[in-house]
Amino acid sequence: MRTTVNRVLLALIGLVLLALGVSVLIGSLDLQRHWGFTMPSSWPFSGPKDVLLSAHDRTRYRHDDWWWPVVIAALGVLFVAALWWLLAQARTRRLRQVVVDSGDGQGALLRGRALESVLTSESEAYEGVGWAGAALVGRRGVPRARLVLGLAPHATPADVVTALDSSVLERARTSAGFAALPAEARLRAVRHRARRVT
Amino acid sequence: MSEDSRPAAEGDGPGAADASEPAPTVRLPSVAGPDPADTAPGGPDEPSGGERGSGGEPGGGEPSGALRYAPAADEPGSFRAKRFWSSRRVPAAITAAITFGLAGLFLYDVASVRSGREGMHWRRKLADELATRHLDDVWVILGAAVCAALGLWLLVLALTPGERQVLPMARRGPEGVRAGLDRHAAELVLRDRAMEVSGIRWARVVVGRRRVRAKVASHFRDLDDVRRDVSAALDDAVGQLGLAKAPSLRVHVQRAEKKA
Repeated sequence: MRTTVNRVLLALIGLVLLALGVSVLIGSLDLQRHWGFTMPSSWPFSGPKDVLLSAHDRTRYRHDDWWWPVVIAALGVLFVAALWWLLAQARTRRLRQVVVDSGDGQGALLRGRALESVLTSESEAYEGVGWAGAALVGRRGVPRARLVLGLAPHATPADVVTALDSSVLERARTSAGFAALPAEARLRAVRHRARRVT
Repeated sequence: MSEDSRPAAEGDGPGAADASEPAPTVRLPSVAGPDPADTAPGGPDEPSGGERGSGGEPGGGEPSGALRYAPAADEPGSFRAKRFWSSRRVPAAITAAITFGLAGLFLYDVASVRSGREGMHWRRKLADELATRHLDDVWVILGAAVCAALGLWLLVLALTPGERQVLPMARRGPEGVRAGLDRHAAELVLRDRAMEVSGIRWARVVVGRRRVRAKVASHFRDLDDVRRDVSAALDDAVGQLGLAKAPSLRVHVQRAEKKA
């Protein structure tokens, strides 16, 4: 979700900046004359002696009633949206509670933190994992797990991942009664020095 | 005593390595599957159908021709492991902060002018510059070029996956957990495995996204023996990394300098 928003907004802003820069450059370097193509007559930057924003263009709508409210509203919207976008980078939305189907039709709520700490400690208990971190994300009914594992020096990454899925995550799935618990794991290294055998 | 001049022997598998045909730089496409049965020689995923694919391995144990981990049909790993896409938090945060600051500054100034106060000096200066500088002014050209380059950079950031440090791993296990291995972690694992070979003084392993380069120095034993052992050990270790796309392996062995 955040990935999509970030990428779409970055692409939009990038496109606007690119278009602005290129269109000014077309005017600055007089590419229309050098390369022999013509832009539509409403094109703002006609040649090297043009300016970026003339005083006339800037004050054109100043005496209309709608101009200042619209400018202020647009700036305000931009301000609030940018603030929201900035704050959205600061934290990952974790699941507070997970719905567990208890079988009696009542259902139970499991604290997300509890499941996260179980995942962390069970991963850390596994052979070859130095440290672990877990976060539950997604929606209440359909949680996803995100794990970061620090590999101990003697670890075999393939075995660690297989064990993670077949024991740690499998136990979490069965104990909380999830139909599925899609998981993403990042394997990092625990720094250590090389040791020579002979 | 580096031995770069001798040609590399083709198809020098770990089991089939021949001491009479030494190769200073051995390229080994390696197995990523945990189970040799998954990557049986002559399988459909075998990209190089050469001598190794015909199953005529004298070692018999390790089929080293398969470049890809080929999971069993019932395993969820049978679909392709995709690259990790970065969420681009840092560029997004920087862009958002700049937009926030600029919008706030203009909002403040416009509002203060509207309520009857004097506009800030920089805004009058900016309007004046925008209206008087011609487009062929060097600062305008420079600004436009920077603006276009920045826009292109943001587009690239938005459209490329990023996370080049993370190698996607083959999805294995009952649910097929989506795992990624940091290249640095892979380097440490491979370095440790190379150091386990006897006669190695130091080993440096660089894991690229498609290629693993190992450079080891040996202080005793015949270099060819060391090379064979290191190649076999690393080939095995690359397989145990469990990557979705096994990188090719290059081993370079040299004689360690005498200690002063």
